Amino acid sequence: MCSTVLVYIEINNKKIEKVTEEIISKIKSVNENAEINGVLLCDEKTKSELSDDLSLLPLNKIYVLTDSVFDTFQTCVYAKSLAEFVRNNCPDILLMGATENGRDLAPRTASMLDIGLTADCTDIEIDEQNNLLATRPTYGGKMMATIVSKTRPNFATIRPGAFKTQKSDISTNEVVTIHPENPGIEYLYEVINCTPKPQIEDWTCSEIIVSGGLGLKSKDNFELIYKLCDIIHAKPAATRAAIELGWAEPSIQVGQTGNSISPKLYIAFGISGAMQHMVGITNSDKIIAINTDKNAPIMKAADIAIVADAELVLKSLIKHCS
Amino acid sequence: MKFNIIVCIKQVPDTSDIKWTKNNTIQRDGLDSILNPYDVGAIQLAKNVKYILKNRNIDVEITAVTMGPPQAENVLKTAIAMGCDKGALLTDKKFSGADTLATAYTLSQFIKEVIPDFKMIICGQQAIDGDTAQTPSSMAEKLNINQITSVVALKEINEAYSLWIKDTKTATEEIKSGFPLLIATTLSNTEIIPNINGYIKAQKAVIDAYDANKIKADNSKIGLSGSPTQVKKAFKYEISRDTMILEDNNIDNCAEFIINEINKCRENNV
Repeated sequence: MCSTVLVYIEINNKKIEKVTEEIISKIKSVNENAEINGVLLCDEKTKSELSDDLSLLPLNKIYVLTDSVFDTFQTCVYAKSLAEFVRNNCPDILLMGATENGRDLAPRTASMLDIGLTADCTDIEIDEQNNLLATRPTYGGKMMATIVSKTRPNFATIRPGAFKTQKSDISTNEVVTIHPENPGIEYLYEVINCTPKPQIEDWTCSEIIVSGGLGLKSKDNFELIYKLCDIIHAKPAATRAAIELGWAEPSIQVGQTGNSISPKLYIAFGISGAMQHMVGITNSDKIIAINTDKNAPIMKAADIAIVADAELVLKSLIKHCS
Repeated sequence: MKFNIIVCIKQVPDTSDIKWTKNNTIQRDGLDSILNPYDVGAIQLAKNVKYILKNRNIDVEITAVTMGPPQAENVLKTAIAMGCDKGALLTDKKFSGADTLATAYTLSQFIKEVIPDFKMIICGQQAIDGDTAQTPSSMAEKLNINQITSVVALKEINEAYSLWIKDTKTATEEIKSGFPLLIATTLSNTEIIPNINGYIKAQKAVIDAYDANKIKADNSKIGLSGSPTQVKKAFKYEISRDTMILEDNNIDNCAEFIINEINKCRENNV
């Protein structure tokens, strides 16, 4: 039996969140026969502005729940209409990006539907009975757990960057507009003031990412990561430990509590490879690790393991490239 | 009338100190239990509310509640030492094995039965063991009240409404809401050092215990049987690739090798 999967299309700043496409690509790769539909909530204006972008999504159908109260995201308002739609649409599986808004909306929606929910998954499978097997890091990224649910739809949020986007020739066949009868105005709260933050450029899919950990021994040495990145036009990244020591900005953290990355080449200087770091780098095409400890976990996970002092190699690289 | 605040807290294993057994399971013996760091932030916000309202002659009572085994009483005493007024322990063998939905139901059932006239619930946004951040939103829905998550500060509060600062990756917002209301906070580095009076109060405190009957819980919605999600397997994460090991005492050779790889990567994209 072919399974039906409903994907929540998240809109942020009038754009479709990248994780939406990542989820669609992943479902296609784990079950090519699945019927994949999308659902989004927005106002009329956003709907017309997005129509071209929406038509490029490789989905069977897109349901657009439209109302003027959906112009900005508010959890309780969105949850009410989404839950109502899901109750009528009865998909086997429901997936949403584990963005900040997604992790707010999903539990409220699941609670309304009295169904189970698995948070922030980094891997999914669909078995022959159309059950979703959702895998996520837990215990601070020290353990992985595969979770199943006995309620329908099987519902999970998916970590942004966990899956790669695959190009697809198919585009959406049909867009269905729905006007919810009672869009939940009673839940609206008042936003007195909103200061948007500058959009940080998405660096997680850069071609080359160069990263540093405690093996670099000092903040001064960590600065060399930035220097090398400037020279070779790569993006810098850091481990949680390096960030906790104040060597780098939290926005460039890679791992369970940071970003998941998918570069063509990942170069790790002085990183031992704690599990919570490894879950963030698994989508790298090629990993080069430089570490004095031949037995460090990252040395087994890398394509190329260079047994050497990270600081010295980094300095030599800068000298050669300058 | 009393202004009742409920702070939901959780006793969690110290995840910075996890060890593995030979069978690839987590070694639970000897694992230290701590108060979830985000819940300390929640207690601090509750204290801030109490402080401001006290100056307006409003009587505020903060009740810390947790669900867990009898020894979870410790975490409630910690909360009292930190400034909460009372502790409530939801403890029953039937509660065990609860996922976020069953936990949210159990907590909401306690609130409905015991403190139905509450004004505010404050939670840590997530617990460091599960990191799901699902229970607060799920509980707000069960109580049919509004929620504000990712809260980092209280800006203003009076008997009619409150103003909160919500901080996310995309924006900083100031949000106004009446009561009742659920707040989830992302403050995880708050430190509250109890004073001597706090310790004495905690020592003397009698923690009220509640089982499934006492909160009139529907047995099909609590514990393992009320939990739709189940862990099918747990495992240690390992990536293993065919690794080429390069051991060369000449650092420059190592550097040149990497440059070659960088160039290969660039060429493939032309």
